[in-house]
Amino acid sequence: MSFREKSAWVMAAVIILAGLYYLRAVLAAPHASGAASPPAGALAGYVCLVVVGSVVAQIVLALSAPKEAAHPADERERPALQRAGHWAGFVLAAGAILSLGNFLYRPDGNLLFHLVLGSLIASQIAEYVFQIALLRRGA
Amino acid sequence: MGKRPPITNRVRELRERHGPMSQAALGEAIGVTRQTVIAIEQGRYSPSLESAFRIARLFGVGVEDVFGWEES
Repeated sequence: MSFREKSAWVMAAVIILAGLYYLRAVLAAPHASGAASPPAGALAGYVCLVVVGSVVAQIVLALSAPKEAAHPADERERPALQRAGHWAGFVLAAGAILSLGNFLYRPDGNLLFHLVLGSLIASQIAEYVFQIALLRRGA
Repeated sequence: MGKRPPITNRVRELRERHGPMSQAALGEAIGVTRQTVIAIEQGRYSPSLESAFRIARLFGVGVEDVFGWEES
């Protein structure tokens, strides 16, 4: 397994775990429709988990394969990473459009916030899944 | 799984004759990862023209001695 693929697996795991933490925190919060603001603590916790998790994971990966980590993506990996980012953009766009559509019928700002953030998380996970698939396929 | 490119190659044969050289060493020599060398050898990936020339020069042969076109 290449360094990029390992990195994609680890980052997908970090985003999924942080996303589950956020989901749990949101579900546990009181559900007053149109409440003043979304739970800032949950968002801060999510951001901290992603940042700390990513840094720790990348350091561990780099220490386990320092030579591979030092090299930039090669000619086969670069288009795969770019294509994965391009496709993930569609996931984000679809999520944002669906969230806005939902807001038209259910004008709840809190829910809109969570749905857009959820779309962002889903697109990030999708990007890593696409990276893994494309890198395995040979790109 | 994507469609296989119609380009054949003798990279594995030349690499094994050349030393034999490891996939990692070949990757290092031409500036790609070991996984890319594996993908080239398995016919899943067609290298860039630059990498094709680098491979050929490394083995001391012409590009056409390494790569061929598979008629369908």
